[in-house]
Amino acid sequence: MRLSIAILAAVLASHPLMAAESWGLPNEEAATFSAKVVDMQCALTGDCPKDCGDGRRQLGFLTGDGKLILAMKNADPFAGASRDLLPFCGQTVTADGLFATNEGVRVFALQRIKPAKGQWIAANGFVRAWAKTNKVAADGEQAAEWFRHDPTVAALIAIGGKLGLGPDAPPKE
Amino acid sequence: MAAKRNLSKTMFATVFGLASVIAFCAGSIGASTARRVTLTGEVIDSWCQSTGIMYALGTAHHQCAIWCAVGGIPVGLRTADGTLYTILRADADKRNVASPRLLKIQTHEISVEADLYERDGGRYLLIDQVLDDHGIVNQTHADNGIQPFGE
Repeated sequence: MRLSIAILAAVLASHPLMAAESWGLPNEEAATFSAKVVDMQCALTGDCPKDCGDGRRQLGFLTGDGKLILAMKNADPFAGASRDLLPFCGQTVTADGLFATNEGVRVFALQRIKPAKGQWIAANGFVRAWAKTNKVAADGEQAAEWFRHDPTVAALIAIGGKLGLGPDAPPKE
Repeated sequence: MAAKRNLSKTMFATVFGLASVIAFCAGSIGASTARRVTLTGEVIDSWCQSTGIMYALGTAHHQCAIWCAVGGIPVGLRTADGTLYTILRADADKRNVASPRLLKIQTHEISVEADLYERDGGRYLLIDQVLDDHGIVNQTHADNGIQPFGE
């Protein structure tokens, strides 16, 4: 009995509790794979700043068979995956997420990440970092709708308006 | 004796040369080859456009494209034939996460000179010069409202 519980615990610890969650994307495929975290620009051009660009570079995965995968999205609303991947720059991790294919373009959204010696981490790194920077609770209402409270977004919309045509442009003709 | 010395020099030069070539190749493992391109297209949010989860072009999607770019989703370029490119550099700004340069030209129609890297189905642009910036010309909000929430 004890052995069964130990085996079950080991299995649960080494696999995500559930496969990637469906987001209803076109031609969606759940995927779990091992790969090295890389700076995309570095992998393509050889221009490789320290620490994968320290949060200023788009990051992705280089698989064991040499495939380069851009991590286009994380599990936060309107946010990318660089914050989630940055702590694991150059390390081999297990990624869990969704591929989607639309009009011939295949993209990957990261939902969870597991370092070589660690537990699964939800790919909500952008909102966690945003909440810390803006001194609000990561599980609060402002963080949940960070895009409505972000000072950079507010400054850009104040100049360009929601349509980008200027602050006085009518919202709908 | 002189012949032996010359042979040693030749062997040394050969070994040194081979070592240099091997070291150079090792340094470029994984790097890809670029080709120069001149393209004209709309600066877009890669995620919404490539997944088709909402209408994601022009003024209707400008606010959302700003949210996504500030949130760190890659900014892209969509040419008139519908080809999508991920922008990894714009002008001198090597930052490609929430790049101030790209935030300034989001939704604009631009013409660029760039290095294009194609790898594993992805098309990646390193723009070294924005040749022309026509501003926002794709006015889509009258037909599509403001995406995604209508406000």
